[in-house]
Amino acid sequence: MEHAVEIENLVKVFPAHFGGRPVRAVDRVSIRIEPGQVYGLIGPNGSGKSTTMKALLGLVAPTSGTCRIFGADSLAVDSREQVGFLPENPYFYKHLSGAETLRFYGKLCGLRGKALDARIDELLELVDLNDARDRRLGGYSKGMLQRIGLAQALIQEPRLVILDEPTAGVDPIGSRQIRDLILALRERGITVFLCSHLLEQVQEVCDQVGIIFRGRMIREGRLEDMLAIEDQTELVLRDAPPELVDEIRRLVASADGAELVRAGKPRTTLERLFLRETVDRAE
Amino acid sequence: MKTLHRPLNPRRIGVLAFHTFTQLVRMKVFYFLALFAVIVIGANFLELPTHAAPESSGVELLYAIKNTSIGCMSLFSIVIAVVATGLLLPKDVEDRTLYTILAKPVPRLDYLLGKFFGVAALIFVSLAVMDLLMSGVLALRLGGVLEQQRAAAEAFGYPPDLIESQLAETRALGPTWNLQGAVFVVFLRAIVIICVALLLSTFSTSTLFTAIVGFLVVFIGFFQADAREAYFQGTGVLGRIGSAIMTTVLPDLQIYNLIDAVIEGKVLKALDLLKVAGVTLFYFIVYTFASWLVFARKEF
Repeated sequence: MEHAVEIENLVKVFPAHFGGRPVRAVDRVSIRIEPGQVYGLIGPNGSGKSTTMKALLGLVAPTSGTCRIFGADSLAVDSREQVGFLPENPYFYKHLSGAETLRFYGKLCGLRGKALDARIDELLELVDLNDARDRRLGGYSKGMLQRIGLAQALIQEPRLVILDEPTAGVDPIGSRQIRDLILALRERGITVFLCSHLLEQVQEVCDQVGIIFRGRMIREGRLEDMLAIEDQTELVLRDAPPELVDEIRRLVASADGAELVRAGKPRTTLERLFLRETVDRAE
Repeated sequence: MKTLHRPLNPRRIGVLAFHTFTQLVRMKVFYFLALFAVIVIGANFLELPTHAAPESSGVELLYAIKNTSIGCMSLFSIVIAVVATGLLLPKDVEDRTLYTILAKPVPRLDYLLGKFFGVAALIFVSLAVMDLLMSGVLALRLGGVLEQQRAAAEAFGYPPDLIESQLAETRALGPTWNLQGAVFVVFLRAIVIICVALLLSTFSTSTLFTAIVGFLVVFIGFFQADAREAYFQGTGVLGRIGSAIMTTVLPDLQIYNLIDAVIEGKVLKALDLLKVAGVTLFYFIVYTFASWLVFARKEF
């Protein structure tokens, strides 16, 4: 099967400047992403995430190794027909409105006429910016900019979307909207390759995760497999009477080799609490 | 079926050029035109000291209008060519908008050409508007000057053929095709300067660097033909090679000085215009190719 992304032994060394030492930003990184997957590349700042993405987009040339998108060499312009990209903290042209921005990127991809008009309407609807379609981007909030950025990434209906820190600097509400959009993309069968250091968000949307540190891929696999604690089982009960809980405790105590590690009330996250008290209440 | 995104796609270049043009227009570059209008209309009211005979009066005024207008056009085209071109590329890198453009199926050569044609279109439209204004003011003033000269010559009792010949000389100072040719030469010179600024901005990371070096190259360009002659005169084959290299690396802007002759009322020969257009095309190809060589390998 053709991989959506195939990075083989990618090495990127930035040459030394002013007597400094060369920087090995990416060191023999290999990644394979199947079509339709949401892949999260996580790692601390400066670990090589963005460089890996830029190499995949042909914005930097690999020192060695190869990057392929649906089988096409990523240094070839044609490979970008299948890709949409949202960089970290993008500042689009402030003099354009939301609709004009999408029109500009659509035309660059060869879209014209009614097909382009329809696509612009569809995407503005998708990213919930229809009301701000004629407002110049100079007046957009950070979250709106990220959403219009996501819309431009999707303008030519790419099969792969690359997102570099898609929620950097965005408030929890905007962050949730972007997360929902990523989930909507997955439902449409679009492959998503995102990098972030916001681990909770990656955990919520990704099927597959790679951990990169100091330029090297140190762990990679299915998120469920990586997070599961193999020797533990979790039961979450709703409205359980105390007698039932006591009964379970007794059963566990009487079983051979089993041990009750923890019991109590599960906690929500601060993000969920915030959203419940703000957006959900407003809805 | 896969689409092959080959470079030099006119539609794609057109989209980028139109966007660049719009971007500059929305940066209120055209405000300069209002200033130009004030200057040209102001030049129209200049009371210049004159030593001309009464039958030749008004000629200085026509010179003044042309000199001021073409001077402003030259200044505007040079400043916009250097600053606007130097601003666009580093700004796209800084704002990361370049990433989103190059992440689309856009060859880097098309991106560069889009920027080039956008700035060129802005200068072309501006020069056209300025030319229209200058020609309008000249046409208005020329009518008055011709009437004044005819009355003076007739009062002196000059023969009709002499009067006609004198008036024909004055008409040559008005809004002639020669003058339109001179404005076109101003545009061609701007094309070369855009190419230089574009090349500089492919390896520079700041607008300031591009602007300073760009203006320096323009300054040298106005004198390099003299310097070339002084350095390489009588140095044989090596000298000729050195001279050719110098002319290629630093554009020879003295070639465009025939604008001054046109202001004086001299005829702009088609061959000279063709030669200037050919030199411009040469610089366009050389500098765009060099820009592409640098930009194609540039990492972001």
